[in-house]
Amino acid sequence: MMKRYDMIVVGAGPAGLSAAIEAAKKGMHVVVYDENAKPGGQLFKQIHKFFGSKEHKAKIRGFHIGEELLAEAAELGVEVVLNAIVIGIFPEKEVTVKVEDHVIHVKGDTILIATGASENMVTFPGWTLPGVIGAGAAQTMMNLHGTLPGKRVLMLGSGNVGLVVSFQLMQAGCEVVAVADAASRVGGYGVHAAKVARCGVPFYLSHTIISADGEDCVTGVTIGEVDKNWQIIPGTEKHFDVDTICLAVGLSPMSKLCDMAGCAMEDNPAKAGFVPTVNEYGETSVPGIYAAGDVSGIEEASSAMIEGRIAGIAAAARLGFISEETCKEEAAKQEAALEGLRQGMFAPGMRGKQITETEEGVEISQNLLKHGFVAEEEIERFPGVTHSAGVHPVIECTQNIPCNPCQDACPKHCIRIGSNITALPSIDPEKKCTGCGMCVASCSGQAIFLVNEDCGDGTAEVTLPYEFLPLPQKGDKGVALNRKGEKVCAAEVVHVRSAKAFDHTNLLTMKVPKEYAMKARFFREEETA
Amino acid sequence: MNDRNRELRPFVPQPDDDMIVCRCEEITKGEIRRAVHDGMFTLTEIRRYLRTGMGLCQGQTCTKLVKGIVSRELGVRPNELGPATGRAPMRPIEMKVLAKDKEETK
Repeated sequence: MMKRYDMIVVGAGPAGLSAAIEAAKKGMHVVVYDENAKPGGQLFKQIHKFFGSKEHKAKIRGFHIGEELLAEAAELGVEVVLNAIVIGIFPEKEVTVKVEDHVIHVKGDTILIATGASENMVTFPGWTLPGVIGAGAAQTMMNLHGTLPGKRVLMLGSGNVGLVVSFQLMQAGCEVVAVADAASRVGGYGVHAAKVARCGVPFYLSHTIISADGEDCVTGVTIGEVDKNWQIIPGTEKHFDVDTICLAVGLSPMSKLCDMAGCAMEDNPAKAGFVPTVNEYGETSVPGIYAAGDVSGIEEASSAMIEGRIAGIAAAARLGFISEETCKEEAAKQEAALEGLRQGMFAPGMRGKQITETEEGVEISQNLLKHGFVAEEEIERFPGVTHSAGVHPVIECTQNIPCNPCQDACPKHCIRIGSNITALPSIDPEKKCTGCGMCVASCSGQAIFLVNEDCGDGTAEVTLPYEFLPLPQKGDKGVALNRKGEKVCAAEVVHVRSAKAFDHTNLLTMKVPKEYAMKARFFREEETA
Repeated sequence: MNDRNRELRPFVPQPDDDMIVCRCEEITKGEIRRAVHDGMFTLTEIRRYLRTGMGLCQGQTCTKLVKGIVSRELGVRPNELGPATGRAPMRPIEMKVLAKDKEETK
């Protein structure tokens, strides 16, 4: 007798685990297969804090979300089988799985395909040399296997993956020599770009890789500026000595299993590739087979989790574990949460659109889009940037993204976002900042600083989020870097605060001459001093 | 795609024709472009003709690249070019494992 499950889930990533949890909650007998040795999909590589609001698990680091999902699934009796490769889906929902050295056949009354995505590559002379790797691969090496991919890295791609991984490479101890992108504007969140730029990483927009050097492995890379027709402009070549080239040039849905299962497919550029067509519950054209997460269109982990939950709820209704009404009700709640994430300047519907103003009517920072940081002459126009006596928050959040943890983080309610989750945070001048730093630690974009512009002795104090090791100590002397990552003045560490509530975002306070209060945004130990 | 009378522009050698596109099977860009001129207009045909995407990674790396090259050569948009068929096994698998399959289900 073939083993039978109420639901077979392929892929133990955010979508698959969320679906399994939702289905098991309704009483379904669920198995999750994953080809990897560790569950969680990409979540366990995500060491940064997530965006969104509370319901989207904002300000929680990705791997913690993964741990939470796994614990919840285990508690509900979900069977998670690792090193288990689903090799085919056949008629009547028969699934073949390679487990250890044999193939098992199982049947599911419903199936959820949550196989995720694979990394895109680009070709250039030398692209097959060892040392040219996907940004996701670099992340796997660093964050799962504890291995450095290299010492000096060039990142191609300024989307969120490229930016987040660039930052993580630096956290791991690599030098990132540049972020390059053929597009003319930074593709990812400005706050991610800004935290990379202020560490001194130059951004080369409208640049692509001409070639990688090296005989047996990468020893260098040449990039050049492209014109409107993506052709290299002669004379714009720049060379870097690197041992690693990271490619973060997009993802493609890994949807072959859907195709094989007989689901109607479409090649949809808006979803970044070949995807199954699904209804509002994630159900494919084959009744009882669902798809959720990146496999049905590239988005991110937060939306994948919600899509998974919706599919789990719908599968439960299909098998009669819950009523149609309950299904509609619960799915609608999840839909609303999903809708909340798909707002703002980076919403799926905004792709390719040129935005010049924020929702508030503030002119967008062009320097942020071209160079990865907000220029000094631009920063003052944003509502989070204000001046007052004593310590106060300076919120360098300049794009409408669906994220609001800072609003709840302030115990004094100094920070206002309001009910519109994408609104830029603003400062309530009536409320008094105590300098507790909860907002600084809560900002997933590391865009909040505490500034005391005038300490009365010609100095100013700037508190910044710091996630590098070794942690500087009180009294350490070094230099302050500006938003571009240039050394601007000497700086001394006044104190470094670490607290459980900060979740590994340390608060480094440095003293700088007061004219640098609104310029100094990063601290570096002085190498020579 | 099945218009076999499609007029292609003449094959013009390109400087990067010797660049490997499918790493697993070591197929170059020039070979793929040549195959289009030999009459291989779909990804399935290219795959059978050259074995692109049939190696260890099963096309996970090169499918999109091959698609781009073929569609440029044909003068169509990449999404007009249908995909290659998805088949079991989804991942490379040893014959001895597959052979045991029969015993298990008996």
